[in-house]
Amino acid sequence: MILAVLFTNADGNILVERFHGVPAEERLHWRSFLVKLGADNLKGAKNEELLVASHKSVFVVYTILGDVCIYVVGKDEYDELALAELIFVVTSSVKDVCGKPPTERLFLDHYGKICLCLDEIIWKGMLENTDKDRIRRLMRLKAPTDA
Amino acid sequence: MAQPFVKKDDDLDEEEEYSPFHGIEKGAVLQDARVFHDPQLDARRCSQVITKLLYLLNQGETFTKVEATEVFFAVTKLFQSKDTVLRRMVYLMIKELSPSADEVIIVTSSLMKDMNSKTDMYRANAIRVLCRIIDGTLLTQIERYLKQAIVDKNPIVASAALVSGVHLLQTNPEIVKRWSNEVQEAVQSRAALVQFHALALLHQIRQNDRLAVSKLVTSLTKGSVRSPLAQCLLIRYTNQVIRESSSNTQAGERPFFDYLESCLRHKAEMVVFEAARAITELNGVTSRELTPAITVLQLFLSSSKPVLRFAAIRTLNKVASTHPLAVTNCNIDMESLISDQNRSIATLAITTLLKTGNESSVDRLMKQITNFMSDIADEFKIVVVEAIRSLCLKFPLKYRSLMNFLSNILREEGGFDYKKAIVDSIVILIRDIPDAKEIGLFHLCEFIEDCEFTYLSTQILHFLGNEGPKTSDPSKYIRYIYNRVILENATVRACAVSTLAKFGAMVDSLKPRIFVLLRRCLFDGDDEVRDRATLYLNTLGSDASVGGTDEDVKDFLFGPLDVPLVNLETSLRNYEASDIPFDIYSVPREVKSQPLAEKKAPGKKTAGLGAPPSGPTSVVDAYEKLLSSIPEFSSFGKLFKSSSPVELTEAETEYSVNAVKHIFDGHVVFQYNCTNTIPEQLLELVTVFVDASEAEDFSEVVSKPLRTLPYDSPGQTFVAFEKPEGVPATGKFSNLLKFVVKEVDPATGEAEEDGVEDEYQLEDLEIVAADYMLKVGVSNFKNAWESMDPDNERIDEYGLGVKESLAETVTAVIDILGMQPCEGTEVVPSNSRSHTCLLSGIFVGNVKVLVRVSFGIDGSKQVAMKLAVRSEDPEVSEKIHEIVADG
Repeated sequence: MILAVLFTNADGNILVERFHGVPAEERLHWRSFLVKLGADNLKGAKNEELLVASHKSVFVVYTILGDVCIYVVGKDEYDELALAELIFVVTSSVKDVCGKPPTERLFLDHYGKICLCLDEIIWKGMLENTDKDRIRRLMRLKAPTDA
Repeated sequence: MAQPFVKKDDDLDEEEEYSPFHGIEKGAVLQDARVFHDPQLDARRCSQVITKLLYLLNQGETFTKVEATEVFFAVTKLFQSKDTVLRRMVYLMIKELSPSADEVIIVTSSLMKDMNSKTDMYRANAIRVLCRIIDGTLLTQIERYLKQAIVDKNPIVASAALVSGVHLLQTNPEIVKRWSNEVQEAVQSRAALVQFHALALLHQIRQNDRLAVSKLVTSLTKGSVRSPLAQCLLIRYTNQVIRESSSNTQAGERPFFDYLESCLRHKAEMVVFEAARAITELNGVTSRELTPAITVLQLFLSSSKPVLRFAAIRTLNKVASTHPLAVTNCNIDMESLISDQNRSIATLAITTLLKTGNESSVDRLMKQITNFMSDIADEFKIVVVEAIRSLCLKFPLKYRSLMNFLSNILREEGGFDYKKAIVDSIVILIRDIPDAKEIGLFHLCEFIEDCEFTYLSTQILHFLGNEGPKTSDPSKYIRYIYNRVILENATVRACAVSTLAKFGAMVDSLKPRIFVLLRRCLFDGDDEVRDRATLYLNTLGSDASVGGTDEDVKDFLFGPLDVPLVNLETSLRNYEASDIPFDIYSVPREVKSQPLAEKKAPGKKTAGLGAPPSGPTSVVDAYEKLLSSIPEFSSFGKLFKSSSPVELTEAETEYSVNAVKHIFDGHVVFQYNCTNTIPEQLLELVTVFVDASEAEDFSEVVSKPLRTLPYDSPGQTFVAFEKPEGVPATGKFSNLLKFVVKEVDPATGEAEEDGVEDEYQLEDLEIVAADYMLKVGVSNFKNAWESMDPDNERIDEYGLGVKESLAETVTAVIDILGMQPCEGTEVVPSNSRSHTCLLSGIFVGNVKVLVRVSFGIDGSKQVAMKLAVRSEDPEVSEKIHEIVADG
């Protein structure tokens, strides 16, 4: 299960958060845990450099893309490798939508499209699509080229 | 690349502050949503409003029921627009709003229409949305379409239906299970993603049918699975099948192993890793099977991707716990990971190296770790300290360099938990490695010179007081201890005074000098410190005769309190200041709370200072004192063993009784701890009537009644039996509690004069062979075994019949014998077919016994056991065999 996908700006303010199967009362705890993790480790990290952490049986893979920090949390079959795959799709799709690694402004400008991207990538806690071209077409309700 | 960025940012500096959602407010956005009702829909504007709504939802904003309903109805109007971008937004919005059951009906017809649309993309999305919002009844209506969609020639539609199936399986399993033929067909699809989704769904449908899963795996491992994701799934399922068909392993070749091995050569990293991990997780994996997997993991260790390095080192760390030798090849790669940017990777590398290292590499490793320790967080450091502790216990000869390392990191900055972990480790090493004692104590002395934690200082001082006087030159510790009296806070000062006094009491040559120091403490600013100094000076002083003999004084000052602290606390709270001094003998000795505390940490090694070594023995000491204070038992000799309390009543009954079995050479004493839980009753003349008809070797000699048993104040009654000396006689005893009950007036608390005789049936109590065995471990079993006379060895073989598992059998045999497992041999590796367990103990009569017991289990779960016993007395060796034969 992919437990959470979180986008924040460099100051740790939430841009997008999506939880799957995480009780509402635990979400705040997760949010602050992830933001702190990023604050401790993402400073000085290269664009799209993947960082990884594990907490009990839960894995976290996170990165920075332009001004935006991206965190994905998963457990069971979504271990660090699956999450790395997921975050790669997310970052490449976001870059695709924004045209480059986004500033916060650019990210918010393309907010709707990014939501659609995520909707194509994750379906209720499961990874569904991994190909960015395919995702781009699906977002526009165009049939993928390999169809 | 970066240049234009900076420039642009500068230009847009002011705009940068502005966000498209700046000052966004729910009410205003809901107003905006009215554009959805326009007869002439502006698709672009509608998309913008939906984006704002999504932004609000993603920020954690919630809509009230009314608001959500309004938005939902408005959104359904947008189905009129033909604009594809807007339609895609509408699908998303409906999913986000997840309408309630009564609202769903509004949108189903539109979605059903899309589901049968000519545009494939509308069909796929409509399927997803529908499956997200409908319930079981509606699902049966559209089931036909979904089944068609699964085998649709368009992979997007097929995937949408399959993934929906995976989710619907949670809520409507009986419906989804009917689709298995279609899903089976989809598994054969040429589209990679469809195959992946179909495989996941098919496995979920059939997961409870082992045979079906096995068939599925067999057919797919032969063919070609296209997507790497599906391949990973297949590896996991294969692993599951291998685990469940473990009975086939005796035939030599493991089924499907070739498949796993071939996956190690796959072009996708994730497949390679998955296969490697699957191999390492195989039950009873051999080193030949491990080698190829370890080789690929080793390659991952030097990957440029941190995630791959992390995954590889995490897996190797697990392997190192069970097969350290298999991982040693990777040591060089792991050593280079100690300097990895990612601290999780570095810590895993260190702890893995500590598991795989050999004696010769310890020094080099320690040098590397020293550099590493300065730049990791405390929680990682604690993991490393614990790994070093186990390494030191594994290679006791290396204690010097490891102890030095611990003392060095002890001097550096760190929080309480980290420091405590280090101190605990040093204490454990001092206890387990006699040679390390002096150097370890010295390091602890150095540490308290500059320790900011009162708790640690006092614990170390206490430990120093116990161990310091037994060293070759106790005088060298005095300076460190007395410095505490000068420099520290009152708590530490008081503790230091006690430690000084211990040295004075135990080392005669130091006594006069200690007295000089203690006299100085009489002028301390804190009353507790002064009181302690006064007490010690008056009791230990040669001219003062407060106590009896020297021994009595020491026992009084430093001996364990023979009453449970909880009881003492309760009694002290109830004590009202008066002319009558508090009498410690009035404190009940019932140890009811003890078993609970012991149960919490079964078999846990005493952890450092937290649990002083006197813990378990003090209970025995307390029993010994209690029994020797009863004249009737004084002739029984030395107490050999006391059992832990056995409950003889259910929890929360009127009278709560538990029993402790005290074993002497020729006698057994049952101590019944009774508690009266009824406030309106006073019990008098409480005895336990014991029927020993099922214990022929025992004859009752004494029964000591309890005079009164008031409410909630535990008391004891005893029954003693005579038995043949040195014989491990066993038997069953039935117990009946007899007493006189008197009513108590709750208002005055006074009991009536006349009472009524009554009785209360208790559970039976058994004396078993294990009661005659003391659990005493040996540090080196091989040496101890070889030093025993081989002539006293008795070997025999036993067929134990069909057993559930080897682990269960081993535990049962250990329990029957009641001996201490040595060197961790009580743990049976999962799926192993043979196991040797080493046991040690002291048999009644103080005879040392060692047991080496080997087990083997065959395919039909028949267990055979070979028992070799060595002891100081050949008769005892025979007896151990008798015990096992009877058990």
